Amino acid sequence: MSLVGRARTIGALVAHFAVREKLFFLPLLGVLLLGAVLLVLTGGLSYVAPFLYTLF
Amino acid sequence: MAAVLGLSAHFHDAAAALVVDGEIVAAIQEERLSRIKHDASLPVRAARACLAQAGIDARALDAVVFYENPFGKLERVLLSLVRAFPRGRGQFVNALASQLGSKIWIVDEIAERIGVGRNKVHLGDHHTSHAASAYYTSPYAHAAVLTVDGVGERTTTALWHGRESALSLVESIDYPHSLGLFYAAFTAWLGFAVNEGEYKVMGLAAFGAPRHDTEVARTLRLDADGSFTLDLDYFAHTHDAELGFSPALERLFGARRDPRRPWDPTGEDRKYADVAASVQRRLEEALLGLARRARARTGEDALCLAGGVALNAVANARIAAEAGFARVYVQPAAGDAGGALGAALMHARSLGDPRCAPLRDCALGLVADGGEALALAASLGYDARRIDDVAGVAADALVRGDVVAWVQGRFEWGPRALGQRSLLALPAEAATRERLNRLVKEREPFRPFAPATLESHAARWFEHTPNDRTPFMTTVERARKEAVERFPAAVHVDGTARLQTVAEDGALAPLLHALEQRDVAPVVVNTSLNAAAEPIVAGAIDALALFARRPIDLLLVEDVEIRRRS
Repeated sequence: MSLVGRARTIGALVAHFAVREKLFFLPLLGVLLLGAVLLVLTGGLSYVAPFLYTLF
Repeated sequence: MAAVLGLSAHFHDAAAALVVDGEIVAAIQEERLSRIKHDASLPVRAARACLAQAGIDARALDAVVFYENPFGKLERVLLSLVRAFPRGRGQFVNALASQLGSKIWIVDEIAERIGVGRNKVHLGDHHTSHAASAYYTSPYAHAAVLTVDGVGERTTTALWHGRESALSLVESIDYPHSLGLFYAAFTAWLGFAVNEGEYKVMGLAAFGAPRHDTEVARTLRLDADGSFTLDLDYFAHTHDAELGFSPALERLFGARRDPRRPWDPTGEDRKYADVAASVQRRLEEALLGLARRARARTGEDALCLAGGVALNAVANARIAAEAGFARVYVQPAAGDAGGALGAALMHARSLGDPRCAPLRDCALGLVADGGEALALAASLGYDARRIDDVAGVAADALVRGDVVAWVQGRFEWGPRALGQRSLLALPAEAATRERLNRLVKEREPFRPFAPATLESHAARWFEHTPNDRTPFMTTVERARKEAVERFPAAVHVDGTARLQTVAEDGALAPLLHALEQRDVAPVVVNTSLNAAAEPIVAGAIDALALFARRPIDLLLVEDVEIRRRS
């Protein structure tokens, strides 16, 4: 995926939280995002628990 | 006038649906083509197949719409994380993988893999997509619409009002209170796979008596106004991704059932069947409350249903009988796959396209290639030949007691086999159910089979009046005494059947008429053409692969008859 596209997605995500007045989530989101990048770089996880969608 | 592709993915049952100039051209679940049951990956194969069906390529699309908003979901996820902390910290890594590893990048992924400009990709809303899938494919100009599932972005249950093709939200219930998650928790407690085994709970319930109503009522409170609340002490979906129920539920009902043990619902497993009966009844009462409220709030005579919970055919029957609506329609792919269709229809409407024609059948997939079947069957050493009278050959085989695999026309949209990819048998012998369950389908012995008959004949054998559900097998009807005696393989232990009524131009109509011509009642067992844990057959190769592995007597792929050499 292109870096420009990814940057636009991040922008849209921040805009979503701004509109919803939930910008206080951004630090937590930053930590999660960093972890996600690491997961993607290391091959990620293959197992998905059945109730995962209810939680995450 | 526009070409709009709707997509659902990244949870379960990914699907693509193509709407051109307001009409549904194709709607396909990815699992049919990938051959992975409940395939959740981005439905690239299904999307390409939809485009091929329309004879266009991705560059001709005006829009691609994803059925939900991953940012809205992420917002709910973060709220859950904060509220449940420190519980759920063990799922932190899973959260990273599932949400941030793929879901939030859906626009980029669609643009790249479908081959459209990023500016053509739009995000929908989960329950709006469900509601649109039900209302716009219904035959109603005005209707109340109920969407009920596990959870979307935040909503678990929503009431909508459809008027003159405009769809507006009336009210909703949010996570963590969810009828889908209530049923899923008990599905897990009974030892079935969540998101797969819910319909097994429904079938099991018929073997039990609702002796645990009081205990189940403690877990799900129903209010007089039709709303509901879960007692979260009994559930774990806010902090545990594995089970969905808490130790408190096991203290209330006893230990969960060991899924490795064989089923004996009238003996050792009687208690589990009784709990299933109480859970099913509680769900029905909850849905009845919601439906009655929908009637009161909208004043409409017609109701549309969608969302995974709307696949509960027994509950749908009670809604139709008791909620006060004159007509009830359930979108046949009511689960998340259906969201792809709703997203496309909703966006097409927003672009000014007309409302689609009411859905008359589910043959929205691909045709199997008879020539391919003929060549492959010959190479595998089967007797294979082209025939003129497909219905006659099938009827003769059924009369002999054969099990017939029937592959005709475009495959179905949704989880039900409706006469395009069906396994057929006559229902006159109770042993047929055992044979199909144990040998062909390899599934639990308590699972029922559904009958299909001509609409014109249905009232003779079932307590049936023409309706908008039996053409799609989204409800059950009570079998008359004669049917219980004559069709034991197609009537469940509680005397009901998930009947399919077939119109005179329906895919099974020539076969049912051919049975009549042979002085045989035009009723067949109609079950999906697949084995356990497999998607329903799509093409000729899938059909032959199943035929090779299972004791099926005759395979008919379009006009090609395939038999084993004697």
